Amino acid sequence: MGWKLFFWLVICFPTSIALLATTFYQVLILSDLESDYINPFDASSRINYFVLPEYIVQGALCVLCLFTGHWLMFFLTLPVTCYHIMRYVKREHLIDVTEVFRGLNAERKFRLAKLVMYLILLIVVIFRILAAGSSIFYHNSKFEELDIRFNTLGY
Amino acid sequence: MGTENPGRPGFPARPASSPFAAAPQTATPFSSTGAVAGSDPPPFRPTAMPPPPQAPSPFSSSGPPVRPGVPGFRPAPTGTFNDPSLPPPQPPIANAPPAAGTFQRFPPPPFSSSAQAPLQQRAPFVGQPSIQQSASQPPSFPEPPQPQTPFVQMGPPPQSTSPAPMGSNVPTPTYQPSFPGYARMQQPPPVHSSFPPNQGNYGPPPAAASSPFLPHQGGYAPSPAMAAPLGMQPPGSGPPIGGIQGLTEDFNSLTVQTRPGTMDPLFDAKELPRPLDGDVEPKNLDDMYPMNCHPRYLRLTTSAVPSSQSLASRWHLPLGAVVCPLAEPPEGEELSVVSFAPASVVRCRRCRTYVNPYMTFTEAGRKFRCNVCTLLNDVPSEYYAQLDATGKRVDLDQRPELTKGTVEFVAPAEYMVRPPMPPVYFFLIDVSISAVRSGMIQIVAETIKSCLDELPGFPRTQIGFATFDSTIHFYNMKSSLTQPQMLVVSDLDDVFVPLPDDLLVNLSESRSVVESFLDNLPSMFQDNVNVESAFGPALKAVFMVMSQLGGKLLIFQNTLPSLGVGRLKLRGDDSRVYGTDKEHVLRLPEDPFYKQMAAEFSKFQISTNVYAFSDKYTDIASLGTLAKYTAGQVYYYPAFQSAIHGEKLRHELRRDLTRETAWEAVMRIRCAKGVRFTTYHGNFMLRSTDLLALPAVDCDKAFAMQLSLEETLLTTQTMYFQVALLYTASCGERRIRVHTMAVPVVTDLGEMYRLADTGAVVSLFSRLAIEKTLSQKLEDARSTVQLRIVKALKEYRNLYAVQHRLANRMIYPESLKFLMLYGLALCRSMALRGGFGDVPLDERCAAGHTMMVLPIKRLLKLLYPSLIRLDEYLLKVDLKSIERRLPLTMESLDSRGLYIYDDGFRFILWFGKGASPEIAKNLLGEDFAAELSKAALSEHDNEMSRGLVRVLEKFRNSDRAYYQLCYLVRQGEQPREGFLLLTNLVEDQMGGNNGYSDWMLQISRQVQQ
Repeated sequence: MGWKLFFWLVICFPTSIALLATTFYQVLILSDLESDYINPFDASSRINYFVLPEYIVQGALCVLCLFTGHWLMFFLTLPVTCYHIMRYVKREHLIDVTEVFRGLNAERKFRLAKLVMYLILLIVVIFRILAAGSSIFYHNSKFEELDIRFNTLGY
Repeated sequence: MGTENPGRPGFPARPASSPFAAAPQTATPFSSTGAVAGSDPPPFRPTAMPPPPQAPSPFSSSGPPVRPGVPGFRPAPTGTFNDPSLPPPQPPIANAPPAAGTFQRFPPPPFSSSAQAPLQQRAPFVGQPSIQQSASQPPSFPEPPQPQTPFVQMGPPPQSTSPAPMGSNVPTPTYQPSFPGYARMQQPPPVHSSFPPNQGNYGPPPAAASSPFLPHQGGYAPSPAMAAPLGMQPPGSGPPIGGIQGLTEDFNSLTVQTRPGTMDPLFDAKELPRPLDGDVEPKNLDDMYPMNCHPRYLRLTTSAVPSSQSLASRWHLPLGAVVCPLAEPPEGEELSVVSFAPASVVRCRRCRTYVNPYMTFTEAGRKFRCNVCTLLNDVPSEYYAQLDATGKRVDLDQRPELTKGTVEFVAPAEYMVRPPMPPVYFFLIDVSISAVRSGMIQIVAETIKSCLDELPGFPRTQIGFATFDSTIHFYNMKSSLTQPQMLVVSDLDDVFVPLPDDLLVNLSESRSVVESFLDNLPSMFQDNVNVESAFGPALKAVFMVMSQLGGKLLIFQNTLPSLGVGRLKLRGDDSRVYGTDKEHVLRLPEDPFYKQMAAEFSKFQISTNVYAFSDKYTDIASLGTLAKYTAGQVYYYPAFQSAIHGEKLRHELRRDLTRETAWEAVMRIRCAKGVRFTTYHGNFMLRSTDLLALPAVDCDKAFAMQLSLEETLLTTQTMYFQVALLYTASCGERRIRVHTMAVPVVTDLGEMYRLADTGAVVSLFSRLAIEKTLSQKLEDARSTVQLRIVKALKEYRNLYAVQHRLANRMIYPESLKFLMLYGLALCRSMALRGGFGDVPLDERCAAGHTMMVLPIKRLLKLLYPSLIRLDEYLLKVDLKSIERRLPLTMESLDSRGLYIYDDGFRFILWFGKGASPEIAKNLLGEDFAAELSKAALSEHDNEMSRGLVRVLEKFRNSDRAYYQLCYLVRQGEQPREGFLLLTNLVEDQMGGNNGYSDWMLQISRQVQQ
């Protein structure tokens, strides 16, 4: 039980918050770029700084979910991982400063979609934390068998 | 059969119910107004639009001439006419305005079907009575569906209906009613005085006939009516009649014939349209908006903006503009430089549009209304001038910015982020063994030395040199030295600049050091046997030197970069890649290093010109990237040999160094709300969504852009475009060059086609196609071009398919008659032609880079070069033959002749087999029978040879941007004749390429599907 809470609260929660934050930051920079609050050089270097870490963290989370058997989480993270791998293989993962305006809309759309995915991820994680936390609570108070909800949610 | 015009007599009569049928009734009464003033109000009334709510107030304020009791605005003309106190020339004035004021232009009389012939358009004026006659009979000429749609609904935007502008600022009864400040209207155009009576008679009826627009325009009607009584403004409507008619929708057509004996259709090759006059700049807006900038600066693909998104989506050609902001004005024509000092530049507060001729001044000159966003701005106190009685500023004739479409403003300090930079030239020269052997270094050093006096910006010009092979060499040129000091950097992984300054020195101070360096440079490396090239590290080092100031970097590159960052591999010799999805990768930079460097260069205001000389693969795709994002240019001399190509390099380098250059420039094109420029094509880097960063730009660079409609419906009647280039002139002054253009907004697709500009369309097409080759196969890029032409013609055909029997005819707009041929030529151009074997990869990439910057005129010449017969001229048989361009087909080549093929980049002299040996002997000297590939053309001591040199000189002088080397080829000399000339005869079928008539047939088949 302790491991479960640890997994959700200490690993998944910060990770998904971080993913959400970086993606949000990237979207923000792209909007700034479009409305000319930032020049393309700064914008692309700031975004590119976060791209690889984001890919690594996201990939790690996906793999972790696979190995720990959290299938729902795994399938939630899988599409984004595939997309990341595709971009990386095509060498399109970094923003190209010379052509940044040409692909601006597409880049933003992709990131918005990713933002939504990460948000769903975060909501699921929060529910799991609650589930894990309360199951510990109920376990301690010997009421575990009474509560079917959390058991079903646990899988 | 061939090109024919459907508007000729004998064509099936158009139904009487078409709008034009109204003309007879209205025409007759109106025609009498000149003579019997006011005799016949009732029939006329309907033609005058009912005054809208606002109309009465301005009208009544205009006072005296209005005769009480007579309804409508009809009385005004009559009153004026009868008033003996008015000078004689005014009656026509009084008559003309209603027509002029109400509609943008006079529809041509029904029979002037050939809209393009000025003579025919003028005719109506002279033979007015007979016109009336014919107009009142049931017309026997078909009228296309949209003839009566006035294509600009003139008239000021809503604000002018309010009384205040009316009083102070009477819109002239001209084509520019919305621009009251229009200066030229002071004098009646000559046309007017010669045919005054015709004006009144002839103008209005069509106006009345085109009633669909009356409701919109009624509001403005009174203004002309009252302008006339005031007696201040002659009608300016004369010239436009001649210029902008064409209500008779004019389309050209080709008849498909059947090949005798078979059922195969074909076109008669002789009837196919050919652009033998070269590029024709659009003139159709000159009369309507005479204050527009010259088309050499700004050309739109169609000089009419569609009013709705649905209309825009039916226009399948690119919708956009081609801008050449620094195009060279013809000699003797100077741009006006305007300084507002000590005040700032006058601009609209909201949309930042610069002051231009289309801004209207109101409230006694205290305010001006922005033509782009219609915001009422305060006139700065320094810029204030009273308005005269006609609403024009009294100082109009001293204000070029209010009368000319192109001006330069001196920019005050707020337009600078740093003190204006001096012109900086830095030369990065490859000194590896192949560079030494080709003789390139020698020529470069000589040319630079000869240009030192002509570099722009004396005495502030700065100059610097670096050379590289496997190491990087810098030169200390401190003015106190007598000889330059060479500093060698051999650490390629961590490059550094050996000296903080003195690598880039002031030319006038260090002149002697620079000269001695250039003298010594060829001999310094003549024994160099180094085969490596540390190009990448050298680029980084130079960047460190230049990043302080920016400037222009000229790279002379001969060996494929092999050391340090930016190493490149041999690629492009793999024919298997062609035709696969990986094909386009060959045309992209191999190493991201080059893109990064280009971005850095652009950021620090460095512009890169690449001169590549190698006889082997040098990866122009990668090197060209440096030029692409820094507003530079690629010059490629494959297998450079100083003996052969030296002259070309000399001229082109000289041109590059001495042409007027704008430094640290940014360019933006503004337009009114509802329209937005979305994509840009050319050599530049986008600094923000609509700001082009151009570290150095000159007269040989053009930029293209496409626009899209943001609002579903445009409500304005005129769209304004303003190109502003903010730059540092070589003299150290910060300047803003502003080009303003007004174009009508139209609701009719036919009108868009009529005002289309083939040159701009082709220019955008070629840029789009070349960009497409960077992400797709060549084949795809070519078929896209064809597809878009087909779509456009299909749409055009649908406009007329109902009215006319079009079976077996291919129809196309007069304005786009060369589009198909240019489309074919584009598909067969160096950049898009064939596949692997047809053009070496480097040459293809270089051609692509070149075509991305070419101004329209030069591009069209490259696509459809001129072919001219020379022997008749040289033998003085036919002196005119030199001005006659021939169709680019084998059939034009007579084997007894001598021809020159000129595409703006090279000359090819073709000697026919049967040409008299005399000619060859005179031109080539004694060795005329030898192989021509080795023969060089030089002047010989005879009349014919001198004549030829004069001709070549004349052709070269017509366009100095590139130097044309002369290649000689004899008929039947294979394979040289094949790749030099025969593949370039775009009208002939060649290998897998279509010939002109096949291409037309293909298109016409697809159009009719």
